[in-house]
Amino acid sequence: MKIALAGNPNSGKTTLYNALTGKRENVGNWTGVTVDKKESDLKAQYQIKNNSIKLVDLPGAYSIAPFTGEEAITRDFVLSASPDVIINIVDATNLSRSLFFTTQLIEIGIPVVVALNKMDLVNKKGDYIDVVGLQESLHCKIIETTATSEKGLKQLIEAASEASMHSDLENRGKSVKSFSNDQDRQKYINDLVVKFIVKKVASSQVTFADKVDRIVAHKYLGLPIFFLVMWAVYAFSIEGLGGYLSGYFNDILFGETIPTAANQLLEGIGVHPLMQALIVDGMIGGVGAVVGFLPLIMVLFFCLSLLEDSGYMARVAVVMDRYLKKIGLSGKSIIPMIVGSGCAIPGIMATRTIEDLNEKRITTILTPFVPCSAKLPIIALFSVAFFPESSWVGPSMYVIAIFMIVIGGLLLRKLFVWENTSQFIMELPEYKMPSLKYAFTQMLDKAKAFIYKASTIILVMNTLVWFMQAYGWNLQAVDVQSASILAGVGSIIAPLLIPLGFAGWQLAAATITGFIAKENVVATFAVLLAVGSTDALHMPGGVLTQFFTPVTAYAFLVFNLFTPPCFAAIGAMNSELGSKKWLGRALGFQFGVGYTLALLVTQVGTLLVYGEFAQGFIPAMIVLAVVVGGVYLGIRRADVKRLELSQLSEIGQEA
Amino acid sequence: MFLTKAKVGQTVNIVKIEGKEKNRRFLFSLGCFEGESITLISILGGNYIINIKEGRYAIDESLAKSIIID
Repeated sequence: MKIALAGNPNSGKTTLYNALTGKRENVGNWTGVTVDKKESDLKAQYQIKNNSIKLVDLPGAYSIAPFTGEEAITRDFVLSASPDVIINIVDATNLSRSLFFTTQLIEIGIPVVVALNKMDLVNKKGDYIDVVGLQESLHCKIIETTATSEKGLKQLIEAASEASMHSDLENRGKSVKSFSNDQDRQKYINDLVVKFIVKKVASSQVTFADKVDRIVAHKYLGLPIFFLVMWAVYAFSIEGLGGYLSGYFNDILFGETIPTAANQLLEGIGVHPLMQALIVDGMIGGVGAVVGFLPLIMVLFFCLSLLEDSGYMARVAVVMDRYLKKIGLSGKSIIPMIVGSGCAIPGIMATRTIEDLNEKRITTILTPFVPCSAKLPIIALFSVAFFPESSWVGPSMYVIAIFMIVIGGLLLRKLFVWENTSQFIMELPEYKMPSLKYAFTQMLDKAKAFIYKASTIILVMNTLVWFMQAYGWNLQAVDVQSASILAGVGSIIAPLLIPLGFAGWQLAAATITGFIAKENVVATFAVLLAVGSTDALHMPGGVLTQFFTPVTAYAFLVFNLFTPPCFAAIGAMNSELGSKKWLGRALGFQFGVGYTLALLVTQVGTLLVYGEFAQGFIPAMIVLAVVVGGVYLGIRRADVKRLELSQLSEIGQEA
Repeated sequence: MFLTKAKVGQTVNIVKIEGKEKNRRFLFSLGCFEGESITLISILGGNYIINIKEGRYAIDESLAKSIIID
């Protein structure tokens, strides 16, 4: 039996889904957290005998007629996948709005059971809902639930199972009310509300939450408060607890304890030295260099989860709307970007909640500019190795990211022709005390995913990198790395990096592996440099300094942050942009931004800091001239098109 | 007049919703249509915080100008 969960955004569908299935899907206190359908078996305790029940969680919708992309997923599923029962989750604190969708669902003909959720909030407010009366009027079973504390769930599933047994034919006709138009539907709902709901305090009264909103979304205070909150999250994750634990992991655990123990063990049992090198330098060294950052990432996700759960995200959207409008976006674009600071993939998927196509496209292109958790190891490693005294380097990446999002947005708007007609509307959910328990499980979940990634794709890549740097094309072990396969491959790409001041095939190799997964950049350096030196990678002024000056190191950071993200994120971009043409434009744009920015940092920075020309100054100037010329031509072309369009519309008006 | 002319804290009646059909339909599904009442809760940085039925929403000025009140 298949049960579909449908209801308004932020009514608690995913919380209910998690409670019923034992899954740990992302929940958050704003509209549009779930943007894809998810399916799972019920937990054993909720299964009903001889009947294996599957539950499908759907994105929230206000109406069966979709407004945004993720709402369309819900309509398509309900209408064409024909679930056996629909559980319509209704936010009991906003019953009058929710019933619009409820009556539409009942009309379809699939049995519907209503879960009257957030009953704890209704009771707290002292409101009263005549459930029995409402049930009779709607001709469908209503079960009171509180998904956060798993109240009423057993009864809900029993009612759903019961409802599925009465084939819809019996119910239809005699009881289901249908409406010839939606005006009548709203009138009917208003009558129901008058009849069955008693509110203690009218919801149009200004509440404490409204007063909080007036501060956190204040015209002038809103932005500083947002920056303060984000700064606190990152300071705690990167510099604070997370950074401290990662330091221990990197320096002691993976820097000394484990490699030493492994070496002793392998020498003890007499393993071939090459094999020993593969295991210690390749596998442990490479993966260890990445896994060392696990605490940092766990703390980051813990904090982000608390933030998402509180209800603050919707307010951030309100604060940012004014500023994002200036670059052709709206407040809705900020949410993919904040989600993207954890991982770009869910961030990119979150762009589905943006109704305007152009706005969605720009947001998809700009979201990967936000440093994701996989880029954190690169930032952390380079900050420690090159700038041990300067705590501004890590945060500066976020500042540059914000700056580049603004510049990028303005540039995209100039380069491509579109009209910005989007209007902003965002539901403001009630604030809620974030659940520590949920944040904790979310953190463990992300840790598990990270370890899985490290022990699969990163481990495989590292083993490969180790082989490629240890063996030549003739498949014989080489004496010097520069004769290896990896050096050969890296040398092909390396000339492209000369204008950026990055010399050496090693840097090219690290950049390539970074496209598979950004953590690989760190792991590849660990493997490559372990051979030549016994110093830990993370030591200030350590082995990395043979490749970089502090200025080029900073440029390398910028390059890795702004060039196209990892393959998985490119895949997500592909499916959200929906056309190869736009994917090409997006990747070209991201590559251009990353490349140009790194070039400028190296060339201008070297000139300013050391008073001399950096390596590759002349090619860099040629590249820069080409980029500037290209952008100029692109904007000119777009201007011509815009002019044509405006003339066309004028002619149209005259006619 | 437009919703933008309402006073903060004032509950007013909606006379008409203008603008794009798609937005009108969306507002309708939230319970924002002619004959219903709407409350202006706050104006924050160019956005209008409104109460429709039992929900709070932030809308931008252009959308607020598509809501005509008496």
